[in-house]
This record gives sequence, structure tokens and C-alpha cells, in this order.
Amino acid sequence: MVTTFIEIFLLGIGAGIMGSMLGLGGGIIIVPALTLLFGMSMRTAVAASTVSIIATSTGAAVAYLRDRLTNTRVAIWLEMGTAMGALGGALIAGVINQRVLYILFGVLLGYSTYNMFKARKQELPTGIVPDALSQKLRLAGSYYDKALGHRVDYQVTRTVPGLIIMIFSGAAAGLLGIGAGIFKVPAMDQVMGMPFKASTATSNFMIGVTAASGAVVYFARGDVQPLVAGPIVLGVLLGAIIGAKLMVRLRANLIRLCFIPLIAYTAVTMIYRGVKWW
Amino acid sequence: MVVNENSVETRHDAIELVLARLLRLGSLVAAALLAVGLAAMVAGLSVIAPKLITAGLLVLLGTPILRVVTAAVIFIRERDWYFAFFCAVVLVALATGIVLGRVG
Repeated sequence: MVTTFIEIFLLGIGAGIMGSMLGLGGGIIIVPALTLLFGMSMRTAVAASTVSIIATSTGAAVAYLRDRLTNTRVAIWLEMGTAMGALGGALIAGVINQRVLYILFGVLLGYSTYNMFKARKQELPTGIVPDALSQKLRLAGSYYDKALGHRVDYQVTRTVPGLIIMIFSGAAAGLLGIGAGIFKVPAMDQVMGMPFKASTATSNFMIGVTAASGAVVYFARGDVQPLVAGPIVLGVLLGAIIGAKLMVRLRANLIRLCFIPLIAYTAVTMIYRGVKWW
Repeated sequence: MVVNENSVETRHDAIELVLARLLRLGSLVAAALLAVGLAAMVAGLSVIAPKLITAGLLVLLGTPILRVVTAAVIFIRERDWYFAFFCAVVLVALATGIVLGRVG
């Protein structure tokens, strides 16, 4: 039992470091690892992974908030979209064709991968002109970049398209049970013109809230197994704290380079699930 | 670690520091309960251990929800009505989702 605890704990640390640095939930690692390596059921794995997302978010957010990488105003604006989208997704789950959704979201992520690859050498966005709503809501932010050694002031644009993408990303999470952070980071980085580090930190901040509503349901159903979720969550908390400390010192380009393979992989898996007929 | 000298808007800073404190408290309490629970499990106290771990997980689960409530309170105090409303929308959507999830 002790060795299993330690193994799950170590898996948690790894997922926590990766998730916190990239603004993702880490389900992309935790779910396959628990089902394939530890032979657990999908239900147990998904429930443990959902609680882990909250741990990634909470553990890393402390450091990101203090370094002001998190844009709380953008986060709350976009959280409206994810929360409503998740709800809408749950309501229309019965009437919609999942295959079409998988292909649609897969293509969307593929397009994001391409854009992210094109922007791979760009450290900070330039020439962003804020739209009227962004100015009204005072979404602009600034943080001290420890890797660059200077303060970064940035503007936010395309405020409404950003919200619309969040509604779809929330619906995708509600319908397909995937994509805690994988849609959020490109929406902020590519659509709203935010710096990459501010995008991942803000995504990290947001995913905890979305995951919390899912986790309540898993708890009520009794899917959360304390002896599985306990060690993994403890590991993820520790990993997230380490990951956040590392991330603030890294250059955006390097973090983006780690993000690209994951988003490409997710795009391919989703399209595959959509088109496979066997 | 705090880079106060670089901040322009002091009013804007308050919310980040309050939320950071709240999230730190939540993760510390959760981590402590989880660690004690796992240690108890290893020590063979298999009745109390899962309860401690579940308590830790529930504390963790409550933290982001409490974070939205806290943000709403701060925005109301600052008379930032747009953002207070946005927080309310998030809370209503979360509550509805939880109720629907329980039913279904």
C-alpha cells in the first residue's frame, strides 16, 4: 500500500508541475496513468483527475497572484462564459452528436496549434489595441517578468470573441469531459492578445472554479476514492507550487514550446475519436 | 517575492493579495488533512484515515467556490457593479450545475 501511495504521489507531483506551468488541468496525464498503469476504472480516474485540477489551480494561483501574472478581471469575465457553457453543454448533451463535436473542437485545436507554432519566436505580443469593452472593464494588466527582468504592460482586445470561445470551451468540458485549460490558453494568447505567461497563469486561476462544480457531482455520486485521490492531490499541490516558482522565471517561448506538442496531441486524439467508425 | 514597487494601481492590488491569502489558507489546510490522513492510513488506522482524507478533499473543493464569493464581496465593497454581477452569474451557473448534476 505504501509503495502505491508513493507512486501515485510522484505521479501527482509530475502532473502538478506540468499543469501549473502550462495552465492545464493535468487530466491529460493523470487519467491515462491511473487507468493504464494502476488499472483503475475510468470513473475513479476521472473523479481523481477533476479534484486534482482544483489542486493544480489552487496551489499555483498563490504564486501567480502575488507575481500579478494572473489577470483576475479577465479571469472573472471569462469564467462567466465557461460556467454558462458548462451548464448549456450539460443541458443539450442528449440531443447533440458527439462525433461532430469531437471533430469540430479537434479542428479548432489544430488551428490553434498552427497559430501557436507560427508565434513560437514571439516573446511578447506587440501592437495590441484594446477594444471599447476592454477599456470599459479595465482589463489591461501589468506584471514584472522575472525572466526578462522588466515590467510588462499589456492591453486586452477582442473581449466578446474571447467570451464566446469560453462558452464553447465550457460546453466542450461539459459535453466531452475534456479541455479544462487547453482552449483557455489559446483564447487569451491568440484571440485576446495577452502575453503567453499571463494567459497560462490566468487559465490556471480559472480552471479551479470549473472543476469544482464537476467535483461536487463526483463526490455526490461517490466516485471520489479517498485512497486514490488523497495521495494524488497531495502530490499535485506540491507539484503546482514547484511549477509556479519555475514558470515565473522561464521565458514565454520555452513554455509555449512545451505547450505545442500537448495541444497538437489533443487535437489529433479528438479528431481520431470523431472519425473512427470501428 | 511581492513586487509592490512595480504596481501602478494600489486599489487593483488588494483583491489579488486577499485571494492569494485565501487560496494559500485553503491549500495548506487541505494538504495538512491529506498528509495526516495518509499517515494514519499507513499506521493502520483505517477507520479514521479515509475520513480525514475526504475532509481534506472537501476543503480543497470549497476553496475555489469561496474564492468567487470573496471576489464578489470585494467588488461590491468597491462598488464595481459590473464585476460583482459577473461573479454572481458564475455563482448562479455553478449552483445550477451542481443541482442538475445531483438530479441527473
